[in-house]
Amino acid sequence: MESRGYRWSRRAIGIVSLLLVAATVILGLWITPPDVVQGQLVRLIYVHPPVAWVAYLAYGVTSIGSILYLWKRTRNLKWDLLAAASAEVGVVFTGLTLITGSIWGRPAWGVWWTWDARLTTTALLFVLYLGYLALRRVPADSHQRAVRSSIAGLIAFIDVPIVHQSVVWWRTLHQGATVLNPSLSPKIHGEMAMTLLLGFISFTSVYAWMLMHRYQIAILEQKVLDAELDQLIEERRREPDSESRQARPTNDVGNFDQPSKV
Amino acid sequence: MVQSVSDGADSSRPANMSKSKARVLPSKRRARRAWVALGIVVIAIGFLLYKGLGNSLVYFRTAAGAVRDRAQLGSSTFRLEGVVVPGSIHDTTSGVDFAVESSSVSVQVHDTANPPQLFQPNIPVVLVGHFSGSIFLSDQIMVKHSANYVAAHPDRVATVNGKKL
Repeated sequence: MESRGYRWSRRAIGIVSLLLVAATVILGLWITPPDVVQGQLVRLIYVHPPVAWVAYLAYGVTSIGSILYLWKRTRNLKWDLLAAASAEVGVVFTGLTLITGSIWGRPAWGVWWTWDARLTTTALLFVLYLGYLALRRVPADSHQRAVRSSIAGLIAFIDVPIVHQSVVWWRTLHQGATVLNPSLSPKIHGEMAMTLLLGFISFTSVYAWMLMHRYQIAILEQKVLDAELDQLIEERRREPDSESRQARPTNDVGNFDQPSKV
Repeated sequence: MVQSVSDGADSSRPANMSKSKARVLPSKRRARRAWVALGIVVIAIGFLLYKGLGNSLVYFRTAAGAVRDRAQLGSSTFRLEGVVVPGSIHDTTSGVDFAVESSSVSVQVHDTANPPQLFQPNIPVVLVGHFSGSIFLSDQIMVKHSANYVAAHPDRVATVNGKKL
């Protein structure tokens, strides 16, 4: 079972996440000023880029877990379970990125959706990691599943830098990066920038909390599987004994005396 | 944070495999469902790549580029990008007339759609439509917002382009 320290740290991160998100909401909705062009629409910026960042981070953790599983010196099923848990959280945050972007896009751009490079590659990212999760459901033994999903996770990660650079490499309706732009000079005013930074921290904290929960569930699922497996093996071991016990009376009456193999 | 998993999978493949042999007996139905889900995802990836290659790579043409290639474009529908020229906006019964500009080349636009709420002079827009002579007939306006976020100062700047914030 989980250690006491793990349980307490998870709870602490949960409480801190709640407070940070509450602070982001208060600052984002009431304290920060409207934007000179966007007006009140700017308030979605305190959510949309942070959830997109968390999706990148989650897939980064999935990649690290995948590499650690594929590398024989560090091979352990826990890395595969961590990779899967992070991918699942990443898919949730990619979905949130698409939804919040669409909500902002309708009043700001005038459309819910358009096939520009940023939106298309983000949708592709979402589907790629859905594919990763679907692949994990395809029946296989634990090792086989871990190897093929690790490879799939690493291939899917190729899309992450493409998503980020899409606004630089191609002409898009989506604006360029405000903070992580090529010149690394944030194009956002003081208290708006501070609230955006708080948004990044608070959603990263939420990610850590969700990941710890999901990883714990994955560990428990694995233990249930192992327990079922041990039970099956035990039942299988007993089978020959019962067969030989049933066979004995027939031997007694002089039929074929075949030694039972255990 | 990462805890160890107490199965035979930690490093030894044979131990892992011996246990998993019994594990790999899910129902055929479950297996079929997983393959169907994976198939749907593969189709979705193919669709997105098709849409991406078809639309994303040349998402729009700038006003200057479109004027240069006007003969080649003919009356085909494409996306045109430019900055709305100040003083060129005139409401019409069917929509709005205005001009867009890029690299000092301007294109007159006749639009028949409702402009988005951020539509205003000096803002970059992407228009969907086609040329009719030298006029671009548009049926969709999309505002291309910049990456800059500037706080409004109510005491100093109460309005922008006549719009109340």
